[in-house]
Amino acid sequence: MKPANDIEQFFKKAVIDTDPGMDRTVLNVVLMAHDKTTDKSSAAAKPRIRRITMKSPITKAAAAAAIIALVVLGLFEFMGSSKSGVVWGEVAQKVQASSGLSLRIMETSSVSPDDSDYAIKYFCPTGSRSDAYKNGQITRSHCSNTETMTSTALFHSTKCYISRPCKKGSEGFLEQDENWTNPKYLVQQILAVEYKELGKKMVDGVLCEGLETSDPAVMGALVEMVDRLDVHMELWVDAQTQYPVRFEGKMAGEAEGQVMESECVIDQFQWDVELDPSLFELDIPPDYVSMRSM
Amino acid sequence: MIEDQLLIWKFKLGDRDALRRIYAKYKNDLLKLAVSLANDVNTAEDVVQDVFVSFAQTGSRIRPTGNLRKYLVTCTANRIRNRRRDRARHETSDIEKAAGTLCGRRGPEQWAILSEELALLSEAMARIPYEQREVVSLHMEGAMTFRAIAAIQNASINTVQGRYRYGTDKLRSLLNGELRHEAGE
Repeated sequence: MKPANDIEQFFKKAVIDTDPGMDRTVLNVVLMAHDKTTDKSSAAAKPRIRRITMKSPITKAAAAAAIIALVVLGLFEFMGSSKSGVVWGEVAQKVQASSGLSLRIMETSSVSPDDSDYAIKYFCPTGSRSDAYKNGQITRSHCSNTETMTSTALFHSTKCYISRPCKKGSEGFLEQDENWTNPKYLVQQILAVEYKELGKKMVDGVLCEGLETSDPAVMGALVEMVDRLDVHMELWVDAQTQYPVRFEGKMAGEAEGQVMESECVIDQFQWDVELDPSLFELDIPPDYVSMRSM
Repeated sequence: MIEDQLLIWKFKLGDRDALRRIYAKYKNDLLKLAVSLANDVNTAEDVVQDVFVSFAQTGSRIRPTGNLRKYLVTCTANRIRNRRRDRARHETSDIEKAAGTLCGRRGPEQWAILSEELALLSEAMARIPYEQREVVSLHMEGAMTFRAIAAIQNASINTVQGRYRYGTDKLRSLLNGELRHEAGE
């Protein structure tokens, strides 16, 4: 045999195969694990936020306070700090009540790096849309419509698309996919855990009041899935309109030896705007190829 | 890459067939990587099964645009490193000492079937320091960049490139020796 001078070639020649019977056995174990997870998540999809926060006695009280804040409008004045002009309970209520919303999100993650520079997101009561950009060019559009229960994605650089109905069990997926980019979820979570007020400062030319939290419980279910979780989040709110102006978040976690880090900035909010309903129905260009047929 | 995006997309929507295809697409690559890292077929099989089970349970968190291959390769490497650390705590002999006799020998319920070259490579890999082995495996098998490996090893790129150089030199020397020995030189 020829001496292995080229290690790379040797690696290529060193192949592995698998026993078909054991293949099926292992695959069955994997599929069973998946089925168990799917059953659990679909059964508990609806009360997700409440279920997560109620597990901890500390967050239990905080969550209760946040829920009361949303329901009992007359108590809003008592929810905010006496030093602060912003009433945080009112912020939560305004965010929840906003019909149309658009924002810009810039996100980096070590686990699943996204190659886009930023994305513009739109939310309305019946759906959401995200357009990702790289070097000023749109690279990807994703639209979830809860009225038609369809989820469509266009990959512009490769001229591909995928569109499929969202089944009953995939509602949780829509919720999960949007969570940290959806200010309604984000504000609710931050106000449901321990946070500290940061006072006033100018943010993007607007006088704002901020708060921060380093309570891992803010990450919801994730805190139960990891061995270590460090979180820091800041939310800056317009002191006059009481709408969020900027969100900054950093997360570092470790699970089963895998280190995950992510950073996120959300800004350029436009609250309570009227959005064209057609924005939430993606038209598939005729020259785009369905990914299902690939 | 597009195929992976499609698979992740379908998997996130609860499609079992997508999981089957991810398994079929990556099982051999992950097993080969695990064998070259652990130098023990049983450990490699356990680790790869655990990676897929964990992915089935929590993989829906990966974004549709995430790099599936890198994700699975990193999970495999991390799990093997953790096992090594645990074994070093609880056993007097480590993986390398227990290995050698295990690699390449197929038991009745063995999942992985190693080629002669892979058995030889795995034995040679066992004789180089683990950090070097990890760099060589992740770069050659996992197709990972030195920058990505540096992040995993929490080391500088220069250090990782050095480990790659030393690792491949040592491997070359070991494999040349083994092969000459086998050829009766």
